[in-house]
Amino acid sequence: MSEASSLQTGSQMRLYGCPTCGRVSQLLHAVPDGTFLQCPRCATPLYHERPRSLQRTWAYLIAATVLYIPANLLPIMSTSNVFGETLHTILGGIEELRTGGDWLLAVIVFIASIAVPLLKIGALLVLVITAQRRSRWKQVERAQLYRMIEAVGHWSMLDVFVVVLLVGTIRFGPLGGVMPQPGLLAFGAVVVLTMLAAGSFDPRLIWPEEKDDTRHP
Amino acid sequence: MSEDTLGSAPPPPPVTPPTPVTRKWHGPSLVWLVPIVALAVGVALLIRAVLSTGPQVTIDFHSANGLRPGKTEVRYKEVVVGRVEAVTLSEKRDHVQATVRLDRSVSNIAVEDTRFWVVRPRIDTAGVSGIETLFSGAYIGVDAGESTKQRRHFTGLENPPFVLRGEPGRGFVLRTDDLGSLDVGSPILYKRNRVGRVVGYNLDPLIDELSVQIFIEAPYDKLVNPQTRFWNASGVEVSLNSSGLRVDTQTLASVISGGISFERPQGTQGLPPASDGTRFNLFPDRKAALAPPDGPPLRVRMVFDQSVRGLDIDAPVDFLGIDIGVIKAVRLDYDGKRKRFPVEVEAEIYPTRLGAVRNSLRQEGDDETRRDTTLLQRLVQSGLRAQARTGNLLTGQMYVALDFPGKVSKAELDTSTAIPAIPTVPGTLADVQPQIAEIVAKVNKVPFDEIGRNLNETLSQANKAISQLRPEAQASLAEVRRTLQSVQETLQRADRSLFDPSAPIQRNAEQTLVDLQRAAQSLRVLTDYLQRHPESLLRGKPDDAKIPASPASPERR
Repeated sequence: MSEASSLQTGSQMRLYGCPTCGRVSQLLHAVPDGTFLQCPRCATPLYHERPRSLQRTWAYLIAATVLYIPANLLPIMSTSNVFGETLHTILGGIEELRTGGDWLLAVIVFIASIAVPLLKIGALLVLVITAQRRSRWKQVERAQLYRMIEAVGHWSMLDVFVVVLLVGTIRFGPLGGVMPQPGLLAFGAVVVLTMLAAGSFDPRLIWPEEKDDTRHP
Repeated sequence: MSEDTLGSAPPPPPVTPPTPVTRKWHGPSLVWLVPIVALAVGVALLIRAVLSTGPQVTIDFHSANGLRPGKTEVRYKEVVVGRVEAVTLSEKRDHVQATVRLDRSVSNIAVEDTRFWVVRPRIDTAGVSGIETLFSGAYIGVDAGESTKQRRHFTGLENPPFVLRGEPGRGFVLRTDDLGSLDVGSPILYKRNRVGRVVGYNLDPLIDELSVQIFIEAPYDKLVNPQTRFWNASGVEVSLNSSGLRVDTQTLASVISGGISFERPQGTQGLPPASDGTRFNLFPDRKAALAPPDGPPLRVRMVFDQSVRGLDIDAPVDFLGIDIGVIKAVRLDYDGKRKRFPVEVEAEIYPTRLGAVRNSLRQEGDDETRRDTTLLQRLVQSGLRAQARTGNLLTGQMYVALDFPGKVSKAELDTSTAIPAIPTVPGTLADVQPQIAEIVAKVNKVPFDEIGRNLNETLSQANKAISQLRPEAQASLAEVRRTLQSVQETLQRADRSLFDPSAPIQRNAEQTLVDLQRAAQSLRVLTDYLQRHPESLLRGKPDDAKIPASPASPERR
């Protein structure tokens, strides 16, 4: 917004709202690089754009993507009975449900365990890349997308919870039981990392402003 | 919020500036450690997974029965060493291909001579095996090879292999005509101990012979030497023949599933063990197995003019009580000339069983059969005849006896056909039977009814006669009694007149006897005198000597 004469945002007015105690403070003169601002009342760090938000988001996102591969390739749990041990990968489980004729369950598990993490990673990628390019493309939709990611985040832990529940409840000693497998760790890590990525992404980056000389990114 | 409302709002109170704080860290964000760690962890996990998976092999099977991709395990000595990943049809659709991922730990198992087979529940003679697969599903068993050549494509066995590699022991082959109740897994018994098993059998259609492959476990394989005899100990043997009923049972396991026993004949215990793969004959029973080996059999014919009911195939042919052969065929013939139906019996006799007889009677020659035929000929000339005899009166089982029945007409061994015919005499029972029949017929002809009737009549008439006679008889009896009484009286009288001491006859007799005595005395005196004086017969009596007078004795003359 080149003609942003009307001051609309806190950064333009150099006002900082403390997210902890609600105190609003105003920066009156420039601060040197390498310093950050604190709320004068409760010492909560204050900023208009979260520092290194993009960096951190990138880091989490890359980590999540890296771990997404073993999460899907490795078995997430093993069920053992008298006759031996069976390993289950997520895709294998979905396949079993599908061949077993349980279409609905297969779809649910597929959406919860495969589609959602993938979509989250994809959406975050879109958000991060557009934010980095300070794009003004479909900002409202991107904001909605961001909110959706935030909302959906923890539901992806469904599988982890299921396995943990099974491990806790199905214990027949030597006769059988369920044991978590390394894939589950990776899968949980993916979910956590995407949540962290979403959390570290600053939605204000969707609304980039003209560079003002008061701050240097 | 529109600017108007903002504009109309009172100006905000002055705000305090935020406190600037110097940041300590200037480098890139520490958050980059997260993807680095994630990368390390992910790579480690994947590397571990990749390292733990071994080679992938494909195995061809006839059917995918029990094979489930991702589920079916590959087990080597009951240790899971792999898993079936996929089951597909081959291109020609004639078999299925299982793709198996082996564990890294057994990557060296996939070599040339490794064998794979599917373990499914099997119920066979060796018992129930693979029962656990009823619940766990089938699995693929492995027998590791020893080759060093790697291989990735295998053809699976349809049945578990009989001998696992490295199992100590020896395999042998048994020839037989009849499998009996033998099956793969049937036990091999030595003194009723299980020492091995049947590992397979195949029928060779070319030579029409069954070969049974057996495996004897070490150390028992040393018990098998070239002279060992194997016989089929398939369970219960009930034999009913002319020697009676005989029930022979083996161990319960082999009763149910059949089995093979073996034994070393007397005196062969010291022989060295037989080599791997030696072929033996499988005998039908122990008796046959331990019998001295029979030479080539000699086929003979016998034509009987009698019913041979009870003469079964395999009935014995005995020679003076020694079992020397078996009946092989019984056929009915028709003799147009005599309008009879002779029965032609074909038998195999083993001349070797004649033992010393054969050696002493046989003539020299090259051809074994010819020599035996000549021997038979000589025996027939000296009166050998075949006779169908009843061996067991209860069952009516018959046997053929070769014997020398004294009175026979001359006959020769009939060598006009390929199979020599031994002349026959009617069987003992066959002889007796017509005579008995004749007697019975004669007895049947006796008119018992008529005789009975006549007898009855006669008796009744006699009755009548007797009843008529009774009063006369009584009268005559009384007469007789009276007569007897008078006779008695007469006798008494005679007694009195003759034998009473006072009877005149007595007295007269006495007198007569006294006179006789006197006469005898005077005769004696006379003879005495004549002896002393025989001359007196001529001269007469001399005068009496002059004697002094004496009182003269009275004259006696």
